[in-house]
Amino acid sequence: MNTDTVASSGALQGVRVLEISSLSGAVCGRVLADLGAEVIKIEPEGGEAARQDLPRVPTRAGEISASWLAYNFGKKSVTLDLGTPATDAQFADLAKSADIVICDFQRLSLSEMDRLAAVARAANPKLIWTEILPFGRGHAYEAMPATDTTLQALGGHLYQNGEADRPPVRIGLPVGLSQAGAEASNAALMAYYHALRTGEGQRVDVSVQEVVIWTLLNTTMAWQILGLNEMRGGAIRKERANRFFTRLVWPCKDGYVVFGPVGGGGGSARIKSYAALLKWMEEDGVTDDILTRHDWNGEGQFAIPQEDYDAVTAVIKAFIEPKTTDELISRAVRDRILMAPINSIKHIFENVQFRDRGLFKTLHDEALGVDVELPANWVRMSQTDVARMGPVPQPGADTEAVLARIKEATA
Amino acid sequence: MSKGIFDGLKVADFTWAAAGPIATKQLADNGATVVKVESFKHPDSIRLGGPFIDDKPGINRSGFFADFHSSKLGIGVDMNHEDALEIIRPLIEWADVVAESFRPGIMKKWGLDYDSLRKINPRIIMLSSSLYGADGPWSRHPGYGAQGAALAGIQHMTGWPDMPPAVPKGAYSDSVSPRYALSAVMAALIHRERTGEGQYVEMSQIEATAQLVAPQLVELQLTGHEAQRSGNVKAGAILHSVFRCKGDERWIAIEIENEAQWAALTDVLGDAEALTAARAQGREALEARVSELTTPRDPFELMTACHKAGVPAGVTYRGSDLLEDPILDARDHFWPLHHEEMGTLKYNGPAYRFEKTPTELRFASPRLGEHTDQVLTEILGFTPEDLAGFRDSGLLQ
Repeated sequence: MNTDTVASSGALQGVRVLEISSLSGAVCGRVLADLGAEVIKIEPEGGEAARQDLPRVPTRAGEISASWLAYNFGKKSVTLDLGTPATDAQFADLAKSADIVICDFQRLSLSEMDRLAAVARAANPKLIWTEILPFGRGHAYEAMPATDTTLQALGGHLYQNGEADRPPVRIGLPVGLSQAGAEASNAALMAYYHALRTGEGQRVDVSVQEVVIWTLLNTTMAWQILGLNEMRGGAIRKERANRFFTRLVWPCKDGYVVFGPVGGGGGSARIKSYAALLKWMEEDGVTDDILTRHDWNGEGQFAIPQEDYDAVTAVIKAFIEPKTTDELISRAVRDRILMAPINSIKHIFENVQFRDRGLFKTLHDEALGVDVELPANWVRMSQTDVARMGPVPQPGADTEAVLARIKEATA
Repeated sequence: MSKGIFDGLKVADFTWAAAGPIATKQLADNGATVVKVESFKHPDSIRLGGPFIDDKPGINRSGFFADFHSSKLGIGVDMNHEDALEIIRPLIEWADVVAESFRPGIMKKWGLDYDSLRKINPRIIMLSSSLYGADGPWSRHPGYGAQGAALAGIQHMTGWPDMPPAVPKGAYSDSVSPRYALSAVMAALIHRERTGEGQYVEMSQIEATAQLVAPQLVELQLTGHEAQRSGNVKAGAILHSVFRCKGDERWIAIEIENEAQWAALTDVLGDAEALTAARAQGREALEARVSELTTPRDPFELMTACHKAGVPAGVTYRGSDLLEDPILDARDHFWPLHHEEMGTLKYNGPAYRFEKTPTELRFASPRLGEHTDQVLTEILGFTPEDLAGFRDSGLLQ
């Protein structure tokens, strides 16, 4: 911890982080910066490659990656050519003044990580050295080539997404890498908490494959217990290791809603939700014997035949289809029906709950000529600030100031 | 062996379903004493979600529940009993951290909102994690992670452009939000370590999940373009798709990011000339040609050949493949733990490894109320007579 840093009043005020990253390391640094840490990116001359990742957005200073902007605003940038032993002394000085280093496999090879870790950890034994790798460290597979999509596959998630009669599909976002970044932030902080209390630094590594496995929730148990390999099913699928299909995505007049009215497991919220739906249907004059033929969310739900699930789905689908998302959701919120809109990006930007909660904060970046709202306020902390907005750093913008400060501290 | 990072940390855990328990599991598996408090009249609802051992539903039989509750102690209390605080108040006095994931208002109803807790224990750190957050017009609306995935754009970005959004596996926001929740709790613990000050950490699971679409929100505002689901098409890649292999429902994901990988792939698949010609014809022609070459190949052999050549490739693993994966085996990912009713099952270990303070999944998930007597006597200091009184009044089972 550094007492000379007063850049924020977040919970991590004074915690200094060096980030040698591409996407996943940047997400890790984003979380730490939002919580008040000073995050210093170490970039090659001209800036790191991720500044040009797709999609790009126009700015006064030329095109820039949208994800680079979103995950790197408010950080500092120091340019340093890490490829040469000649800069090792400078890197060691930076490490000496830091608490946490983050690096990821898209930016550094394993041998580069090892070389830099040796320099940094020799200079500062209390340092937390954090690595994000496809499969983690310490085994024969650690250097295998991988990308976000191949890791969505090897984490067991990709197989389960999409239509049954087409190839499996990925989530169309680099979720393995970004979730690994978030995971690395908490792992690094756990290790830092330990260092704060004991003085002991250490290496922490995060496996993207294991991060993806933690998005499955019950897949590995379903195989062990039932010998069941879950199968994708588009809008209609077998939920929670069920043997029957239920519809989860429902078309409506102007979009889609997600809703699990029947057969999704027990719990009083599901039972009340279904009762509220039936009341609404009755008000609209929709009655059908199938709606009450079974205790659809009770203990017997696992024994109800598929044809009955299909029949009740047909009646509910006909009820939902002509209604607008607004009609459906305002009633669902009022009566606690377990339904939600399938938000597009625009819907998220406009969503009344996000807006009312103050999720978005405006980033005003003079140099880029950009005013943009970011979903920065993701947590509320009663005693410490969150997400201090600051401009996107130009490559090397802080090199002189940071190196001068370090020189002063080590003098 | 070194003790876990949280050895000595005390956690009163009121969380339920997935998002909360996955966060507190990290504390438990790293050495914290985590006491999960359940209402025996309204137990954690994922105890009612499959898979169930022997395919028979039962309160202590869910593998879904088990995986999120390693290393935790469990007590069963009637939380709606008028005397519930007789047990809960000393638990709050004991705790460093209180975590809960109820719909907003429930903890306050029990007299356990943050203002009440800090009067009992001024250094307490409280985490409230709910789907929508503690305020706003939708805050009282109940929901699960499937709704969370829809609200945060994950469903919108998954599936084929000509089809409705596909539901991504899992209650997706339940896997994103614990990572953010834990970072915020860690920041609060670090702040407390340095200043002595506790605090209230309040978060919405969909707001955490929306971090994954922050770039798309930037793109929308600065270009007017709205990102859409696009099957397996990825802009900028030379090749990026999922291809059929030999066997029932066997597929391989391949992504080619540069010319060196492309050259290596043509070597692995053979027929470099035809592949290069197909590439010149465009994405669809190339994918069709690659698919012809992968379809007769064993997916695992093909993946190994790709990896040896430096080509990123991944078999689309099923649950059974994960249990048999040599990578996960080498990583010691799975932890076999014995449970009295469920036998020995392999629990998922964490995605991180600490070099000096190893994580340890110490024991299997608690049966409902399994540790009630132990926690009340050994931790909270009640006598057997006290417990008998609590049972007489219906506070305990």
